[in-house]
Amino acid sequence: MSISRVEIITSMSKMDDLRIELSKISVTGMTVLQALGCGVQKGTLEYAIKENTIMELLPKQMIILIVPTEKVAKIEDVVKKCLYTGHIGDGKIFVSEVTDVVRVRTGEDGADALD
Amino acid sequence: MNEKKLGLFSVVSTGVGLIVATTCLMSLCQGSAAIGGMFIVSIVLACALNMITAASLAELNALMPNLTGGLAQYTLAGLGPFVTLVSMVGGYIVCNALMAPSEGAMFGLAIVELTGTAIPSSVISVALTVILIVINLMGVDMFAKIQDIVAFLLIGSLLLLGIIGMIGAGTGVQVSQPLNLTGDIMDGINMAAAAFWLFIGVEFIIPIAKYVDNPKRNIPVGMFLSLGIICIIQIVMLLGLHNYTNWSELAASDTPHILYGISLLGNAGKVWVGLVTVLAAISTQNSVINSITKICYGMAKMNMLPSIFQKTNKNGSPYIGILLYGAVIVAIEATGLASASSLGFMILVASVFWMVSYIISHINLLVLRRRMPKAPRTFRIPLGPVIPVIGIVGMLYMIVNISTDPAERALILTIDAIIFVILAIYAAFWTKYKLKMPLFKPLSIEKVMAMENPLYFEVRKRDSVRMKGNKGNSVPIT
Repeated sequence: MSISRVEIITSMSKMDDLRIELSKISVTGMTVLQALGCGVQKGTLEYAIKENTIMELLPKQMIILIVPTEKVAKIEDVVKKCLYTGHIGDGKIFVSEVTDVVRVRTGEDGADALD
Repeated sequence: MNEKKLGLFSVVSTGVGLIVATTCLMSLCQGSAAIGGMFIVSIVLACALNMITAASLAELNALMPNLTGGLAQYTLAGLGPFVTLVSMVGGYIVCNALMAPSEGAMFGLAIVELTGTAIPSSVISVALTVILIVINLMGVDMFAKIQDIVAFLLIGSLLLLGIIGMIGAGTGVQVSQPLNLTGDIMDGINMAAAAFWLFIGVEFIIPIAKYVDNPKRNIPVGMFLSLGIICIIQIVMLLGLHNYTNWSELAASDTPHILYGISLLGNAGKVWVGLVTVLAAISTQNSVINSITKICYGMAKMNMLPSIFQKTNKNGSPYIGILLYGAVIVAIEATGLASASSLGFMILVASVFWMVSYIISHINLLVLRRRMPKAPRTFRIPLGPVIPVIGIVGMLYMIVNISTDPAERALILTIDAIIFVILAIYAAFWTKYKLKMPLFKPLSIEKVMAMENPLYFEVRKRDSVRMKGNKGNSVPIT
């Protein structure tokens, strides 16, 4: 069974909703990092008149999930609906392949290490 | 801070309260008197078409959540400033300019009926409006506090009166008459426009979305339930009317709802229905004056109306808007345009504006779906464009059949067309020369969403003042 890494970058305020929604679809673990960053607007606040010419880094959070690839589509759907407000800064989702996972305590690897 | 949010029950009770107005009683009684029980077909059809509108609005709300402006902002993002100006000024301000005097007329007629006074009902209507204008100028929204209670009283009374009549438990004499005055179902379908007024205003639920627990579920479900409950209440009322009020007497009465109260429970019924009508009419007219002047204030802030509407007095009330709007209401009431005989006519004139607004909402949805096919949304109408298109066709059908009388229909559509042409000229000039924007170029969703942030206008105002040296107090919306 193939494994994927889902990275979600979003604003600080959405963490609680996301945690609850992901728990509902049996996501078994998550890692959250506090981050600074910006997207195509270079950190311009949505009410500003002019767009920043130099990137302004805003406080964000990055949520990392390692999940079976078959769950990725469902997770993407749930995350999109949970994070969507229509406002700039709702976030981005990155999905990449993971070649292996090892649970150190038991030595299990691959998909077994996720259960 | 753990703020208590509104649940589904509160959404439904607010929704039902916002949709039902005293003029609905007039529409129900007049429709029932015209075709009897067949009006149930009209009620169900109008309810179904309004449910389709609610579905479109729910999907738009999922696409652009937590907007206070609702239809105006959807239209700005969907069809651009020209249509927004025409539909918002037309669909809301002009329509409500007709709704407020109708409520005033209901108040005046109820007072005359209750007290038997010789004072003309139009004078009583004007007196009420003047008092409400003064109260609003003082910045006292005393009726907001009792609005929920009044709405509950009105709906509870409608349901109780309907049930008492339907099961034949009234103290009055039951009338033996046929349920249907026509056997042709097309008569029921063609009268849907008359029943439309019973269900308007479902979009007023949208602005409360931000105070609602789980709005993604509760807002659409709340809108559907509100409409469904009102549909049942109106049908029950109609069956009660059939049992206790002669159809021809109902058609001839200036206050048919009070006539029903008398037929059902005698003097007690008269006082019951009369008092509820009086309270509800005051509450509705006050809330219309209050909300329309606030909408004008908001539109002036977005530079879509002259900046004069932003002027406030020492009490913080937008006094220019209140005085101008109050003058329009008083003029309509004083000239007798809102008399009992023309109330139904005014309601139909106003209905057309509302129907056009709903058509524009369906179009907004189709446009935004096409522009943003992948945007995530928690509510999506199934079957692609089929249901919104049915909604558009249904609304157009009701506009074309706004009245069963060809002469009245022609007059209604002519009046509406003239007002729309005037609005279109205003909107074209305003968009081109004041907003300096292409007429039909929509704003991006994120731009419209950004306008919700108070700082959006604050920074533009600051910038404008800096650029023009304190001359400009209007804010470009781009």
